[in-house]
Amino acid sequence: MSQPVVHITKLNLKYRHKPVLMDLNWTINRNENWLLCGTSGSGKTSLAKAMAGIGHSYSNIEINFNPQSSLPAMAYYVANWFQFKDLEGQSNFYYQQRYNKQSTETTATVKAELESFGKKHSLSIHEVDRVLAALGFSELKYSTLIQLSSGEHKKLQLVKALWLKPQLLILDLPYNGLDVLSRKNLNALLEEISEVGTQLILISNEAELPGCINRIATIEEGKLVEISGDERTWNDIEASDKPVPTFLSESVVNASSAEIIRMINVNISYGEKQVLKNINWEVKAGEKWVLHGHNGSGKSTLLSLICGDHPQAYANDFHLFGNKRGSGESIWEIKERIGLISPELHWYFDPSATVWQSIVSGFYDSSGLFCDPGYSKKAKTDELIHYFGLDEYKNTLMNELPLGKQRLALLARTIVKNPELLILDEPCQGLDQQQTLHFNKLVDELCKNGTTLIYVGHFESQIPGCIEKRILLENGEVKSVETLLESVL
Amino acid sequence: MSNYFNTLPLREKLNQLGVCDFMDSSEFLDGVNALKGKKLVIVGCGAQGLNQGLNLRDSGLNVAYTLRKEAIEGKRDSWKNATENNFTVGTYEELIPTADVVINLTPDKQHTAVVTAIMPLMKQGATLLYSHGFNIVEEGMQIRKDITVIMVAPKCPGSEVRAEYVRGFGVPTLIAVHPENDPEGKGLAQAKAYCVGTGGHRAGVLKSSFVAEVKSDLMGEQTILCGLLQTGSILSFDKMIEKGIDAGYASKLVQYGVEVITEALKHGGVSGMMDRLSNVAKVKAFEISEELKDIMRPLFQKHQDDIMSGEFSRTMMEDWAAGDKNLLAWRAATGETAFEKTPAGDVKIGEQEYFDNYTLMVAFVRAGVELAFETMVQAGIKPESAYYESLHETPLIANTIARKKLFEMNRVISDTAEYGCYLFDYACKPLLADFMTKVDTDLVGKNFNEGKDGSVDNRTLIAINEALRSHEVEIVGARLRKAMTAMKSIKTA
Repeated sequence: MSQPVVHITKLNLKYRHKPVLMDLNWTINRNENWLLCGTSGSGKTSLAKAMAGIGHSYSNIEINFNPQSSLPAMAYYVANWFQFKDLEGQSNFYYQQRYNKQSTETTATVKAELESFGKKHSLSIHEVDRVLAALGFSELKYSTLIQLSSGEHKKLQLVKALWLKPQLLILDLPYNGLDVLSRKNLNALLEEISEVGTQLILISNEAELPGCINRIATIEEGKLVEISGDERTWNDIEASDKPVPTFLSESVVNASSAEIIRMINVNISYGEKQVLKNINWEVKAGEKWVLHGHNGSGKSTLLSLICGDHPQAYANDFHLFGNKRGSGESIWEIKERIGLISPELHWYFDPSATVWQSIVSGFYDSSGLFCDPGYSKKAKTDELIHYFGLDEYKNTLMNELPLGKQRLALLARTIVKNPELLILDEPCQGLDQQQTLHFNKLVDELCKNGTTLIYVGHFESQIPGCIEKRILLENGEVKSVETLLESVL
Repeated sequence: MSNYFNTLPLREKLNQLGVCDFMDSSEFLDGVNALKGKKLVIVGCGAQGLNQGLNLRDSGLNVAYTLRKEAIEGKRDSWKNATENNFTVGTYEELIPTADVVINLTPDKQHTAVVTAIMPLMKQGATLLYSHGFNIVEEGMQIRKDITVIMVAPKCPGSEVRAEYVRGFGVPTLIAVHPENDPEGKGLAQAKAYCVGTGGHRAGVLKSSFVAEVKSDLMGEQTILCGLLQTGSILSFDKMIEKGIDAGYASKLVQYGVEVITEALKHGGVSGMMDRLSNVAKVKAFEISEELKDIMRPLFQKHQDDIMSGEFSRTMMEDWAAGDKNLLAWRAATGETAFEKTPAGDVKIGEQEYFDNYTLMVAFVRAGVELAFETMVQAGIKPESAYYESLHETPLIANTIARKKLFEMNRVISDTAEYGCYLFDYACKPLLADFMTKVDTDLVGKNFNEGKDGSVDNRTLIAINEALRSHEVEIVGARLRKAMTAMKSIKTA
């Protein structure tokens, strides 16, 4: 038998000061494609980065590339998070920036980004077009990085990796933000590159995987444990027995208006490009909606209007909480009534705030905390920290936590003020199954208090049970609005 | 028109220079009410104009833009900025007559022409808002007596004004009411409401006067903020090249070093910055910065004197009249320096390395900040005002150097700052010639601690720490920084 491709012996790794990998052993042979799944914070990302030699190289990780292969002899890691800088090398962005026309020209275009990647790895620029087309990305070639949605950022990362075809490809949460069709296409593309010799390691908790995945493992107590496909079922997850904090069971105040949202022929365009066309949509107090649509169908732009984050709201016939936008209300009066989580909010959130500060900042709708919140807000925050099991991370900085834990803190921030309108845009990205299940249960619980809900999620399995209406966007237009029967979801 | 400040009796000069009140947050409880329902018309739509307007509209106020006919017809950038964000845009004739508040955010150089054009169109009892007092104080522009004249000056670039607002915060802001033009006594209430509208009230507001703002702003920008950073950067680079340090490394150290070093200044003041050095390096930096202060003191004083007497603005306005002859020549010369023309090398420089290998810049910054602050205070400017115009703004300017070197700094800053910066730079370099002959690569280019055993005399170190920490800029700074602690840190390369 030939020597293994990857041979890890007794790898020990700390995340900050806490050991996450302890004497971990792993052997990957040729023709093996692995799935690494399991709970958030178990060390999957740390292991992947160590294998790709990011930050530090380890002598106990041995990678033997195939000298006969024409594929690049490298372990290429696709991060769970897309990082980019502006043309001046800064990454000091704020999340509303992509809606401001004049701020979008400060980052590179997709085309320029791909050209520089191709140059760095000596790739033929002609080959990328096929990958772009397969992921439905061709139209975005001339968009700038800051204009892309989170799903589109993910696709850009994947395009690069699929174009590069390294001998070892490690994909960390590759399905995050992708719509159903894109996930299918991605799996087909992964099968393809695996056939020509790329070996895969996927970090994911998704059910639908490429057929070439032939081994599955989790990390338990710092060690790699191989499991069978059947063991990946999650029926045995027990519901949390922690009671929902009482302040969240209080009925939400929305006496002011029975009508939460009314849009009449709303249009949004950037120059020639129209991203929302004649949108008509009414949401009444207490309704629970799911917002569906492909990547790039206009979902995040629609939500940005509702959250007071889009400057073009002022040029449209659009009522929020019973008042016409631009009739003298401030965006802070609007935000006060909304609890928002979205991939963009997470991406642009102040990484230098502690978990506790991040959660309290939900009372002020700010990114980071700027004032003393007083006793009652502090008490509510502490209760919620306990409910989400974040006690030990209370004073930890956000950027020192794994993605899943950061996301939990931001979910706590979203609901801390028990808002009358909850906007949950892919809230469970980066969470494991158990956390997702718990969060959806909590959402169902909150929704009993008269909360209005708008939920965005590509994964049917992740959508909470209380949803009763659905709006579907396609290419910036409302394709359908329907009331769902309970049995549908 | 004659210099307004020079028409005042000494008593009134001192009185206006001394307006300085760091406002309590309870002063802003009335929110934007004083401007609610009023028609705000902004003249000009550059970075400040656009971003302030976006914030004001998001705070529930009614905002429109007025531009010159040519800018509208030519669909210039200012027109695009405003229309693409769905603001109403019109000519002076269309919008000024209905405006309750006219906000003049054009460059200083255009103020006389702009104000002369809009004043006859303004309705009785309207308000004229400036973000800089040069036109009123130095040029002596006379405003119709029924018009209220106020100033609201966010102390950050326009992009930051927006970024901090949407994060739920704001940028430190200076406000003032011109005592000659407050016929209805509503000036202060409107200035405060405007502050709330741009988010400034969350980050600390200093009540100043037109006079104090101009005299301190000019001093700060000419000396520590732009002038000395330019002089220090060029001299440091040239020294490294002379001593055989790799040019790419030298260029990168100078381009980004000043940003990293002043980031420490922003968080912890002069002592916080000096604390980033090892003990031996701190002792050395202290000694040479004392020497630098002695060498440069007369020059700082000359700048302050010329600003107070109006001599500076007189000569600068002469240059405006001569088609910017001096300014353009100086700008071209700056573009030709070796530092400007050498691209930053592809080398990694760690955060601490910027302190250890660039001790000279730490000394320059300490000397410049303290000197500018001391000179302003001696001239009758209050410590809080002096703090804003020296220490507070240094990291913001350093940030522009990190972006695209001195050319970028001079492009971003105001025309008055650019002129003053060159003036200082040309006078300062010859003054430092002797000093620079003694400087070697341990102070710039290589790690100061290398080859030293790191021991220092306890009493010397204690005395130095005491001198740094008890300086008035530190006492005032600690209090003001507390009010704006949450300012987002400037990212480093």
